[in-house]
Amino acid sequence: MKTIFLRFLTLSILSTIVGCTTPYEYQTNGFDDVITIEATITDQLKTQEVKLTRTYKLEEKTPTPETKAVVFVTDDKGTRYDFKENAGTYTSINEFQASTGRTYELHIRTQDGRSYISSAEKLPQQTQIESVNVAAVTKEGVLGAEITVNSTDPTNSSKYYRYEYEETSQIIAPKWYKQQLVANNGTVSFQPRTTEARICYTTEKSNTLLLTSTSNLAEDKVTNFPVRFIPSTDNFIRNRYSILVKQYVQSLAAHTFSETLKEISNNGSILSQTQPGFFYGNIKSVDNPSEKVIGYFDVSSYSEKRLFFTYTDLFTITKPPYPYDCPTDIPEIDLGQYFFNYCFSTNPNAGCQGNLIVEYIKTKIKVFFPNDGSLYLLYPIECGDCTSFSSNIKPPFWID
Amino acid sequence: MRIFTILLLFFGFNQLMYSQVQKNTFSINYSNISRTDALKKIETSTNYKIYFQDDWFDPTVLISGDYSNKTIEELLSKVLEDTDLNFFIDRNRIILTKNSIVYSKLPSNGTKDSNAPIFFQQYDSVKKNKSEAIAPIALIGKETLDSDTELYTLSGHITDLKDGKPLADITVKAKNTTSSTITNAEGFYSLKLPTGLSTIEIESIFHNSASRKIMIYSNGTLDFSIIEKINQLDEVLVKGKDSQNVRTAITGVTTIEAEGIKNIPLVLGERDIFKVALTIPGIKTAGEGSSGFNVRGGKEDQNLILLDNATIYNPTHLFGFFSSVNPYTINKVDIYKGGIPPEFGGRLSSVFDIVSKNGNTEKISGEGGIGPVTSNLTVSIPIVKDKASLLVGGRATYSDWILKQLDDEDLKNSQASFYDLFAKYSHKINKNNSVEGTGYYSKDAYSITPDSIYKYSNSLVSLKWKHAFNEKNRSELNFTNSGYKFSINYESANPESFLFKFKINETKVDLKFNTELNENHKFTYGIESKLYNVSPGELNPNGAASIVSPKKVDDEKGLESAVFFSDKFTITEKLLLDIGARYSLYAALGPSTQKIYEDGVPMTPSTVVEEKTYGNNDVINTSGGFEPRIGLRYIFDESLFVKAGFDKNYQYIHLLTTNTTQSPTDTWKLSDLNVKPQSGLQYSLGVFKKLEYKDIELSLEGYYKTSKNILDYKVGANILLNQDLETELLQGDGKAYGVEFLLKKPNGRLNGWIGYTYSRAFIKLDSQFNDEKVNNGEYFPTNFDKPHDFSIVMNYKFTHRYSFSSNFVYQTGRPVTYPIGKYYYQGAEYTMYSDRNKYRIPDYYRLDIGLNIEGNHKIKKLAHSFWNISIYNVLGRNNPYSIFFVTKEGQIKAYQTSIFAVPIPTITYNFKF
Repeated sequence: MKTIFLRFLTLSILSTIVGCTTPYEYQTNGFDDVITIEATITDQLKTQEVKLTRTYKLEEKTPTPETKAVVFVTDDKGTRYDFKENAGTYTSINEFQASTGRTYELHIRTQDGRSYISSAEKLPQQTQIESVNVAAVTKEGVLGAEITVNSTDPTNSSKYYRYEYEETSQIIAPKWYKQQLVANNGTVSFQPRTTEARICYTTEKSNTLLLTSTSNLAEDKVTNFPVRFIPSTDNFIRNRYSILVKQYVQSLAAHTFSETLKEISNNGSILSQTQPGFFYGNIKSVDNPSEKVIGYFDVSSYSEKRLFFTYTDLFTITKPPYPYDCPTDIPEIDLGQYFFNYCFSTNPNAGCQGNLIVEYIKTKIKVFFPNDGSLYLLYPIECGDCTSFSSNIKPPFWID
Repeated sequence: MRIFTILLLFFGFNQLMYSQVQKNTFSINYSNISRTDALKKIETSTNYKIYFQDDWFDPTVLISGDYSNKTIEELLSKVLEDTDLNFFIDRNRIILTKNSIVYSKLPSNGTKDSNAPIFFQQYDSVKKNKSEAIAPIALIGKETLDSDTELYTLSGHITDLKDGKPLADITVKAKNTTSSTITNAEGFYSLKLPTGLSTIEIESIFHNSASRKIMIYSNGTLDFSIIEKINQLDEVLVKGKDSQNVRTAITGVTTIEAEGIKNIPLVLGERDIFKVALTIPGIKTAGEGSSGFNVRGGKEDQNLILLDNATIYNPTHLFGFFSSVNPYTINKVDIYKGGIPPEFGGRLSSVFDIVSKNGNTEKISGEGGIGPVTSNLTVSIPIVKDKASLLVGGRATYSDWILKQLDDEDLKNSQASFYDLFAKYSHKINKNNSVEGTGYYSKDAYSITPDSIYKYSNSLVSLKWKHAFNEKNRSELNFTNSGYKFSINYESANPESFLFKFKINETKVDLKFNTELNENHKFTYGIESKLYNVSPGELNPNGAASIVSPKKVDDEKGLESAVFFSDKFTITEKLLLDIGARYSLYAALGPSTQKIYEDGVPMTPSTVVEEKTYGNNDVINTSGGFEPRIGLRYIFDESLFVKAGFDKNYQYIHLLTTNTTQSPTDTWKLSDLNVKPQSGLQYSLGVFKKLEYKDIELSLEGYYKTSKNILDYKVGANILLNQDLETELLQGDGKAYGVEFLLKKPNGRLNGWIGYTYSRAFIKLDSQFNDEKVNNGEYFPTNFDKPHDFSIVMNYKFTHRYSFSSNFVYQTGRPVTYPIGKYYYQGAEYTMYSDRNKYRIPDYYRLDIGLNIEGNHKIKKLAHSFWNISIYNVLGRNNPYSIFFVTKEGQIKAYQTSIFAVPIPTITYNFKF
């Protein structure tokens, strides 16, 4: 009885407090084709980059690039930095850097003759990342590696920070063998591997807005700001891992734009929602001031720091499995998927699988791994050749 | 007593002697003795024997006198001054009579003489046939020998027999005459009656009718105590102020009697006066789980919610699922959604004037309810019999305890609890003076994530002194103080833990007079002053490890004062004009630092040109205006009348919310140099018709409203702790109109009402700057624009004890801003939104049913009980409360939230003792 009573109450309370959130299918008819301008120039001497795309429909997967536009940046001394296009991505013809005290403007003229101009932006205070740290922590019941950043601005003027990161995972193929089978004229033969296939590196970029501000704090000090949390079960950190944390010090207006962007993209709380809507950045259409333009011309001061760690540095538990199933002890029931008889015969009762092996090797579906018996042991290609899903080029920054 | 009088009369007629022959004089003095003792003293110092009944005299009334050489008549006249007694002297015997005079001569026959004695026994036969339960004939006044008026005034108070509370709007009339009146708020009535025997009849919807035969001798008083109808199942649930509606010229008035709402199906077993208000045309909420109301297209902050005259800033508990006022302590709520009487001001859309119950002055009584989530108890204690009483009420939830019992880790760590306390002392000092004091406190605490706790509380104190100078001039002095505060306690191990606090306090004094100049003019006038103190935000580090630096947004202060006057002017019997006005003046006060922004550019933190500092109580700026409030009523015939109104209001306080609906953590902002006061105009027109058939009442009301300086926000505005708040705000024009239709069947086995409203509400946010413009500066629907709103509330009484009730609501889905496209920015996909509020969420509908079982109807029993079994949302309609979009791992996902997506059954036990 008590249970029923509680269950009944639970139902009431649950509905009261948690409510019910379900996915919702929505349909809209309207669509606005609007230019999207992604432009951040920094004080780092490099080929600066501007990306132009168009908004795209909800059912579409990728944006259409805005090609053949004229893009350039000017500063208040009259210097003009021209950009050249490659599939919607515009890069500066020469390397340049934003410098303190100068103001910069972005100019765009699209191929249909529309012109856009940004407001004049100044480089904010330059502040270096102090440190990037990693620690094993438990967050919401999940053990994982948390990467945090620290930064201090003694001048107390940076205040608004945006972070990005690039993370690289080292991959070691468990069933790599120094020799590989090569298919040739309907047979296979062993050859020593000439290229790296055991150790690879996968690099991924952050795709969320990481923002913090120290304007509420007494000191302009970013303390242990969590940039990334990777659960200990994530195979991305199974071996050695590296993260490059990029810090952009923004102006208040640029930060407000980023905050708004972030705010309207995750208004997820059941009882408090923000009013979504369209919002302007600092770029305007020259001819039609009410034309919608998405994007912000951000001039930021830049700093970066890299961190490495190995799974066993942080965790004492068993490391997560390799992303692909490569069993050492093959279950009896699966033996047929791994062991193949390398012979050729026209007699179907002979059990020869030579042609099948040749096919597997030729199409790079399976890879050879030695064993004691006379049968060929073939694993899925990912188990023995990491280039099948990653890159064997060791990044220049990599330290083992 | 009756027999005694008759005996005396017979005695008197038989003697036919007049005492004037004896002209002896006497000297006597007495001081501070009762009349009985004075008469005894007369007996001892003369040779007269005086016959009377002791209980005719109040032993506590003491008299004094010093007379020499007075006749016995003179002495007796002095002693019997101010009483209903007459005397008859027969030799050495003096017989006192109550009311009547014993005539020593028969009246002369023939012409009607106004001084004709009123012979009592001529009516005596009438009574003999009546049952004994009939109240005796009441003898009113004192017959005089030289009376020359034919009409006398009978006045008195009508109270509830059970708790002694005065009853308003009770019809008092003399049978078979046109003489009729209605009691006022104090239960007072006054009626002109001819001398002689009349039958006074009392009629009321909620009370048993009563009648009493009276014998009028002169002006006099007669009080009635009447009994509430025990069976209330067929009562009117919401009274559209039947009589009041005709009597006043104000448009859009509704009264909800707290007692009447018990048959409406409940959510989580809680009787809720605001939920009933929402079934009335013109009053809406943005959705389940929203804290506020939208009245006739107005924003949530435009409603003045008063409990015993003090403002309640957050009228809800638990995100709006329960109202924050304990329903058992409420007597009634008057809702003004059209014309607002000039005595109220400071909010644009409506007034919810909640009046609490007075305690029972005779015996301890109480009421309570036990429901699945909350329980409450209200007890009334007499302090001074028939004069003073104390009413205390409390309500609490056990949801916290339940949450703790659960296995679910998330729920176990969350909390949601509330309670509220209420106390009221009322004291009737004498006929002309009464005082009341109310205290109220409510508190909520909840957490959505385990590391933060949200708390909010309402508190108020209200003191009232009512004074009647005479029957035509009355005054009321009120002092109130109300406060609202909330805090967010963020207790994470990280160094950014904090405690955030917000607080608003309002102190108000008002003095109001009512003067009945004559039959045609009734004045209400007075003054009011409110002092606001707002602490917009204070952030403090929480714990020693926190590196959060304390931050405080400057306090705000403002003084809102007003004078008001209104005249109920009866131009003809059919045409009533309620003409009034209010002049309000608001002064933003220091200490403060106000920013002055550059002209001609958008307000941003970087366009500040000057910061002005103001000392304590320095006037920053003033604003104000004339607020005419005019209402007109014309009666075509008994069953048809029309009303028209024109109203203007100013509002100096604004609610800041980034949410689409009001939430407990919204803050209030006072008008200042950069934030202008809101103002609104309303034109309204209504036609009311009563059908002969089944007493059905129909009403059709329409309104058109415009408003100025309605607050809105730039996209993603940051409101809390913002020193440059004005840079995030937009002020625009509002426009709303609607037609409200109501069909009501107040009586009978099947009763209830059907309401339908067609209404629209728009806002325009225009500016010369793109980022201050919304939807290109055109009018667009507000968040709460719901054109069609249909509701049915119905009760069906099977027997005296069982009744079935149900209510059905249908509303157009509210506007929403949909994503219409996507864009790719800094490595992720974002949503491109449509113009604001261009689309709508699916329509809302819901059916609730309830079964009410009354306890037995024995008069003598310990407690009167009442069961309510109800199912909320029987159809299990998954009404979307909101739809939102999340960019997760670079993908846009749409979600809808609903609050009660399944039928919610509840059972509640209520008792009364």
